[in-house]
Amino acid sequence: MFFPREMTEVELIIPSKDLVAVAKVLSGHGVFHQMDSTYLGLENLGPSTWQERAAGYSALERRIQTIMQTLNLTESYTGSYDFDNMVDLDTVRPSVERVENEVKSTSDQLNSERKRLEQLESQLHQLEPIADVNVEVSALRKSSFLHSILGVLPAANVHRLETSLSRVPHVFFTLREDTQRPVVWLLGPRSNSDIIDRAAKSAYLNPLSLPEEFEGTPAVITGSIRKAIEVSKQKISELEANLRNLSGTHRQELNQMLWDVHVSRSMADAIVRFGQLRHTYVVVGWVPTADLGLLTQRLKQASPEILIEAIPTERSGHHTNVPVALTTNKWLRPIQMLVTQYGRPSYGELDPTWLMAFTFPLLFGAMFGDLGQGLVLLVLGLLIDRGVILKAMSSLGLLIAYCGASAAIFGFLYGSIFGFEGHLIEEYLGFHFEAPWLSPINEILPVLSLAIDAGIVILMLSFLLGMFNNIRARDWPHLVFGHTGIVMFIFYIAFLALLGSFLGTTAIAPKVAVGIASLPLPWTLVLLVFGLLVMFSGALRNWMEGHRPIEGSGVGGFLMFVVQSFMDLFESFISLLSNTLSFVRVGAFAVAHGGLSLAIFSLAGEEADLGFWITILIGNLFIIGFEGLIVGIQTMRLHYYEILGKFFHGGGMRFEPLTLTPRREDV
Amino acid sequence: MASGGVTGYAAISARVRAMYSDLLTPQDMMRLSDSPDFQTLFSTLKTTSYGPYLDTLKDKEINSKRVISQVKRKLAEAYYSVIQMAPENTRPLVKQLYRYYEIGNLKAVLRALVTVPSWNTTEITLWDRVRDVLFPMGSAAALPAQAMVESGSVGTAVDLLRGTPYEETLSFAMRRYSAEQNLFPLEVALDLGYWRRLWAETKKLSGQDREQGTKIIGSLLDMNNLLWAIRYKVYHKLSEEEIINYTLPFGYRVHDTDIRAIAAGADIASIITRIYPEITDASSLLENPQTGLPRLEYQLKRQVMKQCLAAFVGNPFHIGIPLAFLVLSDLEVQDLIILIEAKSSNIPDEEYRPFLLKTNPPS
Repeated sequence: MFFPREMTEVELIIPSKDLVAVAKVLSGHGVFHQMDSTYLGLENLGPSTWQERAAGYSALERRIQTIMQTLNLTESYTGSYDFDNMVDLDTVRPSVERVENEVKSTSDQLNSERKRLEQLESQLHQLEPIADVNVEVSALRKSSFLHSILGVLPAANVHRLETSLSRVPHVFFTLREDTQRPVVWLLGPRSNSDIIDRAAKSAYLNPLSLPEEFEGTPAVITGSIRKAIEVSKQKISELEANLRNLSGTHRQELNQMLWDVHVSRSMADAIVRFGQLRHTYVVVGWVPTADLGLLTQRLKQASPEILIEAIPTERSGHHTNVPVALTTNKWLRPIQMLVTQYGRPSYGELDPTWLMAFTFPLLFGAMFGDLGQGLVLLVLGLLIDRGVILKAMSSLGLLIAYCGASAAIFGFLYGSIFGFEGHLIEEYLGFHFEAPWLSPINEILPVLSLAIDAGIVILMLSFLLGMFNNIRARDWPHLVFGHTGIVMFIFYIAFLALLGSFLGTTAIAPKVAVGIASLPLPWTLVLLVFGLLVMFSGALRNWMEGHRPIEGSGVGGFLMFVVQSFMDLFESFISLLSNTLSFVRVGAFAVAHGGLSLAIFSLAGEEADLGFWITILIGNLFIIGFEGLIVGIQTMRLHYYEILGKFFHGGGMRFEPLTLTPRREDV
Repeated sequence: MASGGVTGYAAISARVRAMYSDLLTPQDMMRLSDSPDFQTLFSTLKTTSYGPYLDTLKDKEINSKRVISQVKRKLAEAYYSVIQMAPENTRPLVKQLYRYYEIGNLKAVLRALVTVPSWNTTEITLWDRVRDVLFPMGSAAALPAQAMVESGSVGTAVDLLRGTPYEETLSFAMRRYSAEQNLFPLEVALDLGYWRRLWAETKKLSGQDREQGTKIIGSLLDMNNLLWAIRYKVYHKLSEEEIINYTLPFGYRVHDTDIRAIAAGADIASIITRIYPEITDASSLLENPQTGLPRLEYQLKRQVMKQCLAAFVGNPFHIGIPLAFLVLSDLEVQDLIILIEAKSSNIPDEEYRPFLLKTNPPS
């Protein structure tokens, strides 16, 4: 639950005769993450024929997909799993070729007719701006003194072309203004034709390709082109009807062929990565331990002689090569999305989803505490989750609902309902309700102090989780001297004691810090000793890892090391202070929430008339939308920056099991 | 205040700063460049934030090509995170910036089709050879790269770009390719189209987003535009009008008048020194363009780096910080590629170290 799913490494030795049956089991159940095992095979067996077969299936699958796209058919990957062998390429290929030839001949005709239509329309489009010019088009080509280019160029190049010819006599007309493909006419003396051609070419000015068969003035030519367009359109609609007929005739056959070839291709792709021995194949991969029993049973059914070695993988130690399958729980999916946005847990690492499922709504609710607004968010979240509203945000629906529920609970404890608090509830809502816990707007300093306390507890928990991860990874140097290691943790405790004794009995003093300060320990000495250890933690960590403790050499290198170590200590001190104080925002937002409600009441006035209630309604909508968003971002920031960064590294490899149907992203 | 404001940038700012702290330090880079050979470099690189990307490589896959491909994955993930979290109005700019790598992939595919069709053997297909050099764009890829490679010809491959942002750009340039059978016009058209669109996206922003975007994107554009103009003049010996048409009329510090002056044959070194007073050795660099231009490019990259580092000072709620982070990440990857290739080919230290940006960052 708190870790990625437990995985077992599986090594299979498969008799050659059962190769396909085993590949079918491995590919068909969506639980086997295959590793490349070719390196385990014998090299002197020569090139594998499976490589060629896989390439053949892949090419054939693409051909079928292309035919289906041409016929406007949706690719459907469903079919029977009841097959013993892969399809024979030589059997399927002729069928594919037959349908392909039938479709290709019509589709080629259609494409060429469409190209012709496009060309005719483009010519018409190009000629329209000069339709009223009463001059023979061929005369432009035959001028003795002028060199002229009539053509189209990218709109972005027009000014650049003019600039490039600024030192050459020329005339430039834009005959058709167009945001993408303006039609232009460039003229210059024939003596400069090479410069003009070079400039036009480098500006990608494509001269118009006016067909030789059209003679006369632009007006006459456009008339002829229009007639040709009509004929072409007629031909296109006939060819499209033919394709529709073909689509109806071949739909079923193509779907069947696609499924057969796709299945064979998936299995062949898997087999290519098997290691080939003389009479057997060796396969290595990963299976979630919970699915191992069923997979083993099916493999034994498929191949009674198969050898299966399962090696359970402990979570301790470094396991960067173990694929990570996260527990898929519908209710935790939005939280998991937030975590994977930051990073995918590695195999041995604690999956922070559960922790975040608790802390995210908690911190949001503490900042946005209001019973009424929280319930509105809860309902909105549920509606979004069910796709009733804002379908595009449906993946966030449950997160909004959790935050809403937490905000409602805190709202109850703060005694706040749609911004009404204390006597306002009795005055406007007609019943008595006092804050059972505390009212942020009336008890500002205790709220801020409490927020820091909560932050200290969360940070301590993060430190402990960081250490826990290091113990599991057996990363002793980081456990002791890492930035969330034991030394840093004790330094933080001593730092809190110092903070507690400094703030003493002031209202803002965090109680946890004061409590630590009151313990009978020599905190100043602890702070000094562990401060020194933090200062040299880099060198000590290097020493534990077996590296040279100090980089650089000589007196200069040592001095640089001391200066750098002191800066490390200073930075650690500042970080701890800012990390702790960062949680003040939780209290500050709780106070700001009450303040914003008060501002709306002052806008609404005192008389409970229609205007009053409209102002309250709009004000509440504003708070839910605007402040809700800000608080959401702050909550995310606190998690990404202050909490996850302390113990979560991520970098896990995604679990991608073999499957015969196209894979859906797990998050 | 930028249009995204505090609310729009709170989350991305936190995430980017967290990722920024993962970038290699000059000390890290020094440690990496001190590696005596490729294997040691690989082991050292595994102890850095690139470790999780390299851990997935099996022993037989540890070669420079695969390692570089994995190193690029970190950059791709950084782009993915920034695109996901960037305020709505700035997202088109970041997406367009990311297209730089797709243009690179497109050029690689076209070059492969033109230069190495003979690589297609029964054992290793052309696609197998090409895919490792492509940038891992992930789900952001608009390019049907495999189908293009397998199409076998530039014309058919370009036909497959229908509906992508490159269709319109290449529709003009293909006519020249058909006539000249040379990829140069296609590549220039792709570059110009990319930078024009990127600049247009920058100019669509307002307030501080626009100001910061102009500084960072403009600095990148300046570097490219200036190097294009110089290369067209010095290497390709193109005419004035061609140079003007193959360059861009905008930028941050480099203006159209500078490009036109270079095109017209003015003294390039004095133009560079006027634009970048920090580059004092321009004339000596241009004396021998073969060795001087890479050094000039290095100096210009340092200017870009300086601009990016400046974005982290002051108000953090603007697009400048995510953009600067992405550019700095890219420069870091460029450094790593130099190192990996140098170590795997046993190139002496003195030949590649002067080109590492990280070991000698601008103050």
